[in-house]
Amino acid sequence: MKAIYSLASSLVLFVSLCISFSAYAADQAGLDAEIEELKAEVIELNRDLFDLEEQLLYPATTSFAVFVSMDAVPDFEIQAVKLNLDEQDVTSHIYRAEQVEALRRGGIQKIYAGNLKPGMHSLKAEIVGKDRDARPVKRMVVADFGKARSSKYLEVKISNNPNQNKPDFAIVEWK
Amino acid sequence: MRWFLCLLVLAPFAYGDDLLPDERRSIARDPIYGQALYSLHAGEYDKALGFNYQLRKQGRKGYGKILDIHEATAQLGLGMSQHAQKQYKRLLSDSRVSFLPAPARAQAWFYMAKHFYNKGLWASALTAIRKVNSAHMAADLKDEYHFLATTLELFKGKPEKADKHILAINPDSKWAVYAYMNLAVSYTERDVHISKVEAVFNKALLLTSNTEKPEALADKINLMAGKFFYATGRGRSAIKHLKNVSLDGAYTPKALLTYGWALTEQWQYHDALQPWYMLKTNHSALNQDVQETLIAIPHLLEKLNAKVMALGAFDYATEQFDDIYRQLGESANRLNTGKFIEPLMKQQVPDRWGAFETVDLSLPNHPDQVYLKDVMSQGYFQGELKSLRDLHVMRAQLKFDMADLNAFEQMTKIRRDEYNIIKKEAQVSKHRAHLSNLKSRYKKLLTRIDIAFKNPDGSGLASEPEKDQLATFKDVSKQIGQLSKRSSLVESSYRDRLRRVEGVLKWTLSERYNERKKQVSQNLALLENKIRQANQQYKAAQFAYQVAPKTFKGFKNKIKTLNRTYQKQLTKLDRVYDKQREKVGSIVKVDIKKRQQRVMDYQLQARLAAARLFDETSNKQRIVTGEVRQ
Repeated sequence: MKAIYSLASSLVLFVSLCISFSAYAADQAGLDAEIEELKAEVIELNRDLFDLEEQLLYPATTSFAVFVSMDAVPDFEIQAVKLNLDEQDVTSHIYRAEQVEALRRGGIQKIYAGNLKPGMHSLKAEIVGKDRDARPVKRMVVADFGKARSSKYLEVKISNNPNQNKPDFAIVEWK
Repeated sequence: MRWFLCLLVLAPFAYGDDLLPDERRSIARDPIYGQALYSLHAGEYDKALGFNYQLRKQGRKGYGKILDIHEATAQLGLGMSQHAQKQYKRLLSDSRVSFLPAPARAQAWFYMAKHFYNKGLWASALTAIRKVNSAHMAADLKDEYHFLATTLELFKGKPEKADKHILAINPDSKWAVYAYMNLAVSYTERDVHISKVEAVFNKALLLTSNTEKPEALADKINLMAGKFFYATGRGRSAIKHLKNVSLDGAYTPKALLTYGWALTEQWQYHDALQPWYMLKTNHSALNQDVQETLIAIPHLLEKLNAKVMALGAFDYATEQFDDIYRQLGESANRLNTGKFIEPLMKQQVPDRWGAFETVDLSLPNHPDQVYLKDVMSQGYFQGELKSLRDLHVMRAQLKFDMADLNAFEQMTKIRRDEYNIIKKEAQVSKHRAHLSNLKSRYKKLLTRIDIAFKNPDGSGLASEPEKDQLATFKDVSKQIGQLSKRSSLVESSYRDRLRRVEGVLKWTLSERYNERKKQVSQNLALLENKIRQANQQYKAAQFAYQVAPKTFKGFKNKIKTLNRTYQKQLTKLDRVYDKQREKVGSIVKVDIKKRQQRVMDYQLQARLAAARLFDETSNKQRIVTGEVRQ
């Protein structure tokens, strides 16, 4: 009788341990899933806020943006870009190694977003980098452009010139 | 030999820039896609996911399934492995091959395998890696693929299959070192002949020069080899490897401890004391290797028959263990009172989070600094701590975004006030009235000018007396005409006099005409300028009137809704954060308890040994004194 009692009690203990362990494991897995869900929601919220910000701060009639893109140029590694709009420095960016790689892999970086009145304007882009032999390279590109009552996008484009085996720098208007 | 596997965290985690095929923008000048690509490769996964959602909203035309791959990649980067796993499985379970290019498919399987591997699900990782078509793997990922396949085959699959993969790895690649290290570990598990194990360890050591940190890796391999040889009773081989571990690296304490044990095993007690003293002097007592040394040194002294010194060392160890126990207790208290994990969270970089962002464990000038480095270097705990860090960073981000929303609300209020001012002041009608007033004045002026300047002789500008004079001249001329009918002599003299007088007046008038014309044209120009300005002001007022409503209308509700959602999200996040904090806290608590238990065991050993030694030495003394008395 005593043996049966002890067997039953140990069985109950084992079952309760199993249940509590599985509940604990489920709880832990649930927490991980909850964290992931939260991350997805926060990212979507951020996106909504970003949209709102764009609409509110940069209305379509005055919005102006500058992008930077770079082809896989073997002879040039970008280090920094400085933008000057209508004789005023508006922004600058120093690139990390992975950002340079991101540009090389076809990414476009929105380096500046702002508002601009209709009329004639001038954009200067100072591009700093180094060539294959790690010698410093500094180039300045200038573009005069007109802005109507619609959004305007410009692209500071670094492309490969296969004939001269040198990079080409230009400011291109998106139409 | 299972303990050996704890050293097998050899594969560095993938970095963001490796996660995707090298594909260019397919649609030229698509800014959103270009930015998504940039963010993905630059490791800004949250932004990348945001752009991805935007592209999906726009109908994802022209992108095919690449957006799904991007999404899974970004999710992996953000530590959302369950989401990524679902995405990869959905992508790969589709039997239609055509929609997914073979390289992308191979890469997706590879990353899935890698993800399972990093999560510790090695059986699933093996299934996934076996599905990779190596012919389609990107050149820069091939070595890593073979390394992963080697490791998984060695430990979960068929070890003989691993040989094929290990031979396929470029010997100049860093993956070759890791593969040989794992092969060595596998040999030790499978009881392969010791000479073969040694050969593989030596091969791995030779290849370390191809890695980014060759010294640290060589230290790691030497420590692994040393521990293995010591555990298998080959002290000399162990000593050879352990001697090569540098004295200022991350593996120094473990190497010094094992070196000491290996020398002890070789009966070189005097020599064994040196590394242990070095370990004790140069490292914190919170380090578990140092704690082991504290108890090992007096035992060794006892073996050397330096019993009084050993007694002293045991006493010292007891004091130290007391101190360590107290320090661990204080750490546990700090954990409960928010002075341990919380300062650690505060020092994290505000906008860097995700699976590839390491947690900054430096915690300068904090009493738990040493303990942190020790306990938190464990892989499992790192993962939990990363989740907590992510939640902490997200919470800060949400609060920051809410501040932004408040700023936007203020901005819309200011714009609405501006609009109301524009409306209330009736600027448009005011400017319109002003303009029409100016225009009518201009019109009237033109009529008057027309009348005044109609005759170029200036008669239009004559004053009333001058007009009377001109009329008089006409009368006089008539009278002279009548007089001339009577006498021709009278006529010429009168006419001359009249012409002279008339000439003087007309000269004055013509002079005035020119002068006034100049003045009038100047005045007209001024008036025209005023009209132009008024017209511009009128147009500007009209534009402001038209534009003003657009700059704030429609945002109020959006901001309100977003604010509400943010509040809800923050509450939810706080709840999850508390849960995760509790989880991390309980892990640390359990660890502290374990450490305290171990310290207690050491202390007990030290006290017992000290008591025994005390007895032995005093008995000896008594015996010696007795002998002297006799």
